Amino acid sequence: MAQSAEHVLDHLELFRGPEYQQMLDKKKMFEDPREPAEVERIKEWTKTPEYREKNFAREALTINPAKACQPLGAVFASVGFEGTLPFVHGSQGCVAYYRSHLSRHFKEPCSCVSSSMTEDAAVFGGLNNMIDGLANSYNMYKPKMIAVSTTCMAEVIGDDLNAFIKTSKEKGSVPAEFDVPFAHTPAFVGSHVTGYDNALKGILEHFWDGKAGTVPKLERRPNQAINIIGGFDGYTVGNLREIRRILELMGIQHTILADNSEVFDTPTDGEFRMYDGGTTLEDAANAVHAKATISMQEWCTEKTLQFVAEHGQDVLSFNYPIGISATDDLLVALSRIGGKDIPEQLARERGRLVDAIADSSAHIHGKKFAIYGDPDLCYGVAAFLLELGAEPTHVLSTNGNKAWQTKMAALLASSPFGQSCQVYPGRDLWHLRSLLFTEPVDFLIGNTYGKYLERDTGTPLIRIGFPVFDRHHHHRSPVWGYQGGLNVLVKILDKIFDEIDKKTNLLGKTDYSFDIIR
Amino acid sequence: MSSLAATVQNIFDEPGCAKNGSKSKADRRKGCTRQLQPGSAAGGCAFDGAKIALQPFTDVAHLVHGPIACEGNSWDNRGSASSGSNLWRTAFTTDLNETDIVFGGEQRLCKAITEIINKWDPAAIFVYQTCIPAMIGDDIDAVCKAASQRFGKPVIPINSPGFVGSKNLGNKLAGEALLEHVIGTQEPDYTTPYDINLIGEYNLSGELWQVKPLLDELGVRILSCISGDGKYREVASSHRARAAMLVCSKSMINVARKMKERYGIPFFEGSFYGIQDSSDSLRQIARLLVERGAPQELLGRTDAVIAREETRAWAAIEPYKPRFKGKKVLLITGGVKSWSVVAALQEAGLELVGTSVKKSTKEDKERIKELMGQDAHMIEEMTPREMYRMLKEAEADIMLSGGKSQFVALKAAMPWIDINQERCHAYLGYLGMVKLVEEIDKSLSNPMWEQLRRPAPWQVLAKAMVQMRSPLAEIACDPALGETTRRAKEICFCNKVDLGTIEDAITAHGLISVEAVREHTNAVGGCCNRRIEGILAASPSALPQAAE
Repeated sequence: MAQSAEHVLDHLELFRGPEYQQMLDKKKMFEDPREPAEVERIKEWTKTPEYREKNFAREALTINPAKACQPLGAVFASVGFEGTLPFVHGSQGCVAYYRSHLSRHFKEPCSCVSSSMTEDAAVFGGLNNMIDGLANSYNMYKPKMIAVSTTCMAEVIGDDLNAFIKTSKEKGSVPAEFDVPFAHTPAFVGSHVTGYDNALKGILEHFWDGKAGTVPKLERRPNQAINIIGGFDGYTVGNLREIRRILELMGIQHTILADNSEVFDTPTDGEFRMYDGGTTLEDAANAVHAKATISMQEWCTEKTLQFVAEHGQDVLSFNYPIGISATDDLLVALSRIGGKDIPEQLARERGRLVDAIADSSAHIHGKKFAIYGDPDLCYGVAAFLLELGAEPTHVLSTNGNKAWQTKMAALLASSPFGQSCQVYPGRDLWHLRSLLFTEPVDFLIGNTYGKYLERDTGTPLIRIGFPVFDRHHHHRSPVWGYQGGLNVLVKILDKIFDEIDKKTNLLGKTDYSFDIIR
Repeated sequence: MSSLAATVQNIFDEPGCAKNGSKSKADRRKGCTRQLQPGSAAGGCAFDGAKIALQPFTDVAHLVHGPIACEGNSWDNRGSASSGSNLWRTAFTTDLNETDIVFGGEQRLCKAITEIINKWDPAAIFVYQTCIPAMIGDDIDAVCKAASQRFGKPVIPINSPGFVGSKNLGNKLAGEALLEHVIGTQEPDYTTPYDINLIGEYNLSGELWQVKPLLDELGVRILSCISGDGKYREVASSHRARAAMLVCSKSMINVARKMKERYGIPFFEGSFYGIQDSSDSLRQIARLLVERGAPQELLGRTDAVIAREETRAWAAIEPYKPRFKGKKVLLITGGVKSWSVVAALQEAGLELVGTSVKKSTKEDKERIKELMGQDAHMIEEMTPREMYRMLKEAEADIMLSGGKSQFVALKAAMPWIDINQERCHAYLGYLGMVKLVEEIDKSLSNPMWEQLRRPAPWQVLAKAMVQMRSPLAEIACDPALGETTRRAKEICFCNKVDLGTIEDAITAHGLISVEAVREHTNAVGGCCNRRIEGILAASPSALPQAAE
């Protein structure tokens, strides 16, 4: 045996041992093996334009989607409020997914409960699960607020959250004055960015519009503060901290809504923090008085911003601002709305990013990129690439819609470097696979799942997006602002130089260019 | 050390160099390079010069005898490419420590050589002398001689410690070492009438390989390249070449001249930078070889290859012409490159606003005049400040220079391309020129420059705000205040004439000259001449006047 108690091998090595290899070879005989040549032929066929045509003719089947479901976004938004326990009304299996998805990305525990609906609840309605669930989670986890969202199961049978929560409160599950905002978040509509939007809107609606009819609506008395919404973002920890730093440097009074930068980055000091940081409930309520609300991600906050605008605030949205121009626009807007000057320190940071780009953009200039991910992220990354003189060639967003496509196309049309780019809303990573084979690019930008595309097509993957499971801690550094732009620049450059090294490191073959200075 | 001093003097007497030849004997003794000025930023030392000149020999172990400073900061810092051994990239140093300095480093050097022989068994070992062992009196010549005998393997002392002078001097001292210890010590396996040497070609970014296929096609054999992608055995037997091409005359002219004297190998100075120059060089090679007895038909074949390659290159450059229309280039480099790329750039439609001639020879300068006309903007010594000014004031759209000038261009927010040794691309030969033009186009079209030139949007905004708040704006809103200000501002101090009076006279009579203003007002127009000119230029009356 290759495996022995003296030297226990990890799976990375164990199965390479001869006995396992033999065993697997023999096993193959009983598995209706195909001719290796035939397998090879099919493999090559999937790289052809002919296959691509068939692939793009797909109607019903989604293969390797680059999106997740609404409640994931709802949970993500909910944990951004002080002492808030996300409560997903529906089946518990779904909730386990959100928790693992988030904690695999952030390397942090993610607390979230479900009403654990089972077959009988599906038949008779989930009211009892709601009543018991709220009571249990209130008593066990001592939250300050429980934010309710739903899985498909509850949505399909049409459970009425408003009525259920009211009934639960009447039955004494939680005190009558305890905050239980809610949002219907069916997975069969939209994606996690929609869920973020719905959950945030639900929470603001709860505080601003009279807590489901139990108290009078808040009357808006405009003040000088600005609300900031980050949107669903894998870099939320770094980004929200960066935005806060910028606002503090400018001296702008602000509230960051759904601020989950603390709960997804708790210190290890012997104390378990089930809840940490977050927008206080008081701030969430007082956010109604702000003079304006700025969303960092347009397609994460369509409904929320509309709701905020209806309350008389100015609203403004960005598309994941990465790079110089995007950050310029953000700062100018903050300065204009906040009535504060942009301090010298930020001007210097800008100068440094410009300097860094000048030092190394020649390596990026003219390189072709494929980008996929959430709609706003795709937009922000593409805009930065255009700024660097890179040529985005495929931009694909499974959860992007027609409006996104139009806006993307306008961005690409505005630059000579975007002319050869195609935008693909509603397509998946298997579509992208065909694109990468038939119209190859130099680099691929996307989340961890892109590694399969990297393996199949040989296109080097630069990990920017959500989820990133197989690289650690990148979420702690911002990608927004000038400093964030620098981080993204470095990520791209690192990969470019790694690739050059990889192509020049064959001993005695290509290493004449294995240079130490790049 | 006396022998080193003699070698240095010897180098300073270079009949092959016109500039050197024109000097008086006393001037010659001072050397070719300006004496270093303590306190000013300076380039590399003689050790560095020797090291970079010889380091491209690929199968040689380059052993630096000295404390860690010399090799630790510099190893593998040149992008010469090797088609074979990678030994040249491995850093060997004796890494002298305090004890060695006190008791002498010869023992250590001896051991280091032994260890290299035992572990690597290279074709040869080059031992580089540095300041410290030279100061304490380590006799590397003796150590190398002993080691050579003991191991039966060439161990070559490269006596060019940093303090003897400049990098360029180091290049030449390296050449002297080759002449003294290496060249002519072995015989080639066979010779052909088509054998040539390339001297002073370093195969940076593998660019020699862009030219080599053409030589191969012509049947011309590079017997030895000194030193790009060179092998010890090749340079040791290079005295059997029929002709030589001197590529970088500044660094290795002594080698070419002395090989001519000793072995009768004729040489010419040429370059593969630029299309015309590549063709000239190929023709010269063919001519020299034929003169030395190669069959006549080589000339015809060479012409055919040249014609084909030129057509191909010009065709590839042609599409850039419209894109480069009106674009101006500033060329800051040295030696042959100061003219050799000019033709290609001109052909691509670029206008040259200047080329530096700091490291160029008299012949180089003649060539520049040929290409750019008599009034060619030759820049003898351009300070970074001057480069900055030229770029900033858009007298040039792009600068082509070595790496050390890049930050000048960046701070002036103007495109820049590295055409010296640290560059990432190969610009040699016909293809190289196409590549250079391609890179210029890429650099000119890089959106980064736009970004670099543009101030932060809020600064633009702030400027506009300041202007709105400026006295001028206030005056515009308040005529009475404007009137007082106008009357209060004195222009002619001698006769006390105020701005208002002069402006009124200009407007009333449509004045356009200082002369006219003098006639209509009391202003003297002497010391206030400039100020009045300024008012005239700014005066709105100039416009209707012109329209009439």
